[in-house]
Amino acid sequence: MPRFDQARPLLTLGIVLLVWLILPTTIKRATRLGFYELQAPVDVAASYARDLQDFWSQKTRTKNELIEAARDLARLNASYELRLQDDARLRNEIARLEELLRLPSYGDFRAEPARVVRRDFSAWWQRLVIRKGANHGLTIGAPAIYSGGLVGRVSEVHAHTAVIELISSPGLRLAAVFDGDDRPVSFQGGVNAPLRPAEAVLEYVPLDVFATPASPRRLVTSGLGGVYPPGLFVGEVLTLEASTDGLFKTGRAVLDPRLGRLSEVTVLVPLDPAP
Amino acid sequence: MLRDSRQVLALLACAGILNAIIAQLNHALAPLALTISSPGLLIAFAALRLPAKTGLAVVLCSGLWLDATAPTPFGRQAALLGLAFGLLHNIARRLPREDALVGVVSALFTNLALFVLLAVMDLGVLPDSGAGALRLLADLIVSQVFTTLAGPWFLALQNGLLSFAGTPPHKGPRPV
Repeated sequence: MPRFDQARPLLTLGIVLLVWLILPTTIKRATRLGFYELQAPVDVAASYARDLQDFWSQKTRTKNELIEAARDLARLNASYELRLQDDARLRNEIARLEELLRLPSYGDFRAEPARVVRRDFSAWWQRLVIRKGANHGLTIGAPAIYSGGLVGRVSEVHAHTAVIELISSPGLRLAAVFDGDDRPVSFQGGVNAPLRPAEAVLEYVPLDVFATPASPRRLVTSGLGGVYPPGLFVGEVLTLEASTDGLFKTGRAVLDPRLGRLSEVTVLVPLDPAP
Repeated sequence: MLRDSRQVLALLACAGILNAIIAQLNHALAPLALTISSPGLLIAFAALRLPAKTGLAVVLCSGLWLDATAPTPFGRQAALLGLAFGLLHNIARRLPREDALVGVVSALFTNLALFVLLAVMDLGVLPDSGAGALRLLADLIVSQVFTTLAGPWFLALQNGLLSFAGTPPHKGPRPV
């Protein structure tokens, strides 16, 4: 009898696991959703508390500092006004060329800025939880960007939050190109050593492409596949070496360290999502 | 039955608090590429002080809580925590269970075992296993330091919340 008592927890666990295995997927999905939505308010509340903390710390600034900040902002706004005019001119030019050459146009996006609720970075995955979800029309697969380039793509959409899988995550692969080159290379995140910026693995790099720490190469999105707009900065390539088969090169791309400190991102929601 | 439910709810509230604290710490540690995880703390008290049924319910629910936010098959962490609970519960009768030091040491060993198990299971999926192993080692060190520092407080919190709920754990030999 004592022997049975000792085995009781493991026996109970075995029965629970057996029941779990034969449970329909719908019930499992609903349970997962329930547990997620149960704890989402905790994370969101913590992020609001952080924002409030920032607000009160900003309140301690002097009037002179605020005047200086307003002056800097006015300068920035003026430069952005000029860029907007240039942007409109370039858009018209692209539309004209597309019509002239009968080219398929790039997908159009709606920008949806969102605060980061939580950074969830581990060796196995790198994710951000943001404070907007299905309530703002976010869709799975939508790319997310920041001032430094590409952040990743939306992997889960919940009622009031969404999860973004970062480009530093091992599960994210994309087709990238070297700036000024139109041949795509394979990019996979997932080299996340401690106390260092994240790195990514590059494969299928053409043999005539060179990169050294003295003359690094910029890597940007290719636009192939239609998920990510072309030209978004992804990382900087410092080294390339011949692969074992000798047909291509492989290498490492160093990602922007700001990816680990993001507090706000912009999700590009496709205006005409694929059916 | 009512006593069991109150115990489960009180310990789940503690697990929620611990998970929220760890999530905020990980948010702050993200720029340093370090992660804290302490599944051992979720198991230690339940395995050492509670009857099998109640403890297992607490541990499985805590595991599902972790699973809900992880991009892994739903139920995997719950199953691993359940297994660790079963093993710890079995050896608990040979330990001075009410000692906080025993609770913290049990949590540390459980953490270590789960880290090693996950590394064996998943290290191959990373594009660079060497960097992955280095990261896991750093994460393990940070997690063990956190468990050592927060362990006594968390065990006291669980004990205190159970007493507050009017269902303190039994002293002496544990009921099965």
